[in-house]
Amino acid sequence: MATLSINGVRKSFGALEVLQSIDIELEDGGFLVLLGPSGCGKSTLLSIIAGLEPSSGGDVFIGARKVNDVHPKDRNIAMVFQSYALYPTMQVSRNIGFGLEMRKVERSERELAVHKAAELLQVEHLLDRKPGQLSGGQRQRVAMGRAIVRNPDLFLFDEPLSNLDAKLRVEMRTEIKRLHDRLGTTVVYVTHDQVEAMTLGSRVAVMKGGVIQQLADPQTIYDEPANLFVAGFIGSPAMNFLNGTLVELDGTLALRHGEIGEAVLALPELRQDAKAFVGLKVIAGIRPETFHAGTGPCALSGVVDVIEPTGPDTLVIFNVEGQLLTARLGPRERPKPGDAMNLVVDTSAVNLFDPETGNRI
Amino acid sequence: MSSRAAWPRISIGRFFVFAFLAFAVCFYGIPLLWLFIAGTRSEGSLFSDPPFTIGTWDVFVRTWTNLTTYNNFQIGTWAINSLIYSVGGVALSLIASIPAGYVLALSEFPGRKLILVVTLIAMITPSTAVVLPIFLEMNLLGLNNTYAGLVLATGFFPFGVYLAYIYFSSALPKGVMDSARVDGCNRFQLFTRIALPLARPIVALVAFFSFLANWSNYFLAFVLLSDDKLYNLPVGLTALVSGSGALSNLPANDVPIKKPEVILAAVLVVLPVFLVFIVAQRFVRSGMLSGAEKG
Repeated sequence: MATLSINGVRKSFGALEVLQSIDIELEDGGFLVLLGPSGCGKSTLLSIIAGLEPSSGGDVFIGARKVNDVHPKDRNIAMVFQSYALYPTMQVSRNIGFGLEMRKVERSERELAVHKAAELLQVEHLLDRKPGQLSGGQRQRVAMGRAIVRNPDLFLFDEPLSNLDAKLRVEMRTEIKRLHDRLGTTVVYVTHDQVEAMTLGSRVAVMKGGVIQQLADPQTIYDEPANLFVAGFIGSPAMNFLNGTLVELDGTLALRHGEIGEAVLALPELRQDAKAFVGLKVIAGIRPETFHAGTGPCALSGVVDVIEPTGPDTLVIFNVEGQLLTARLGPRERPKPGDAMNLVVDTSAVNLFDPETGNRI
Repeated sequence: MSSRAAWPRISIGRFFVFAFLAFAVCFYGIPLLWLFIAGTRSEGSLFSDPPFTIGTWDVFVRTWTNLTTYNNFQIGTWAINSLIYSVGGVALSLIASIPAGYVLALSEFPGRKLILVVTLIAMITPSTAVVLPIFLEMNLLGLNNTYAGLVLATGFFPFGVYLAYIYFSSALPKGVMDSARVDGCNRFQLFTRIALPLARPIVALVAFFSFLANWSNYFLAFVLLSDDKLYNLPVGLTALVSGSGALSNLPANDVPIKKPEVILAAVLVVLPVFLVFIVAQRFVRSGMLSGAEKG
């Protein structure tokens, strides 16, 4: 186990800068998730941590050791690849033990370690098979076995579940969480799946365009997104954005919104320092689950556009003065398209964003 | 159900495609088929009987005896020579071309593109164009008329380098190579432990093409070899034909080598190519990468 420090790491391919001064500190035994859309630089950052890709600047420390110029094999890391990357000509047992073989570990010791890892991942019965004879889930387990067998300082996972079907993905996600709880090894995990990020990570770094948009624990990222990108990327359905002007009515902050600006949403639980933005245009970020049916000053009035029953709840897309918002209501709530609807907002969960910078106010 | 209903209906375009394919199969296949059948027939039968008449076992045995006893089984010596030249040439070309293709595909170094261009130029240069410089070089080294001389000359196989380059640059899974680096492989081990076992199909393919080129190598062998004990089969076959007058319409002579013997000798030249192809194509088609990555 070890800490991980990334200080000012940059990466460019010619004129194209794919990582811009990345700084991350991860505690010993922590679980860092690098989350972002395709092309945001998360896999490149992982490759730099692994030593598979040189950085264009900055330092990487694993524990107290600076590893910038250290070969991947000497970093004491283990990596699970998106494509599994098993050696097709080798049996599962040799696949798992190959890292130990290359480190000249005694055969008997190697076999013991392979069996222990195989037992942990329930792949003992597959040890004599070749990767081509395994299912996707089995290959994934073998790939993880190959990583844990060496007892590394740092686990690196590069979108390990993205090739699995939905059911298996959930199972393996739990498996990874259990494994981390049991082994306590520091993990860096790359994914574009926000559910994986929220469920697995102790820290989540949301990335876009080679820049970390926000680095925090999952709940903070969900409740207090740093900017519009993070707010829109985290959560499904995504956060609603309601454009308007921040006003003060009878000492209470409110959002004046709508095409003619007459509709008002009272925001009594908004932080008082938001008063600095009174009279300015803002974007209110409202999570779909913070709506419930009702009326009052904290309610929005609209017309139901579409309803999407999902089983455990009903998603209602409704039109508020020309802006489409999504509300997550109970499964029994079944308004009809065209119905007028009033929905109360839990204003303690509302975030305000500056439309010019996109940053949270 | 009437039997007429069982016939599939095909369009006119499809009919012409099949007709063309059938014609091509006949046009190119019939001479090969004839070659294998003709060796069983007597010289008289070759002229008087229909083309695909199969001869008798006795005639075949007599033809085989004539061929093998001629000049103290000289054709056997040539076959062994061919095997030495071919195996030596294949081994040398594999040792040189597979690592060369690997390095060109996976490493960045100054002059890499130039080497690739030179490889391509060498590949498209007709081998006859370089026969004279090779002859002079071997003469300088005192390797003319030796086994080593011809093996060395044929070990240069730019087509193999190019095939290996294409394979390693397109088919080698990057994740597997990265994984091996994390597992502890250095550059040499990446090649020997990971890339080479995965490259069995391309090794088989390069070996096959190299064998084909070496086994049927005529011109270079003809120029470099003057001792008939060192001839390979193609040069030997020519010597056999010209020495015996088997294919010219000369009056009958005492040499037992006639047309059936020459045909049988030609079969001997062709047969190993078939056998090597049957062995090699299994590896080429084996899909060694199955299970390496997602799929």
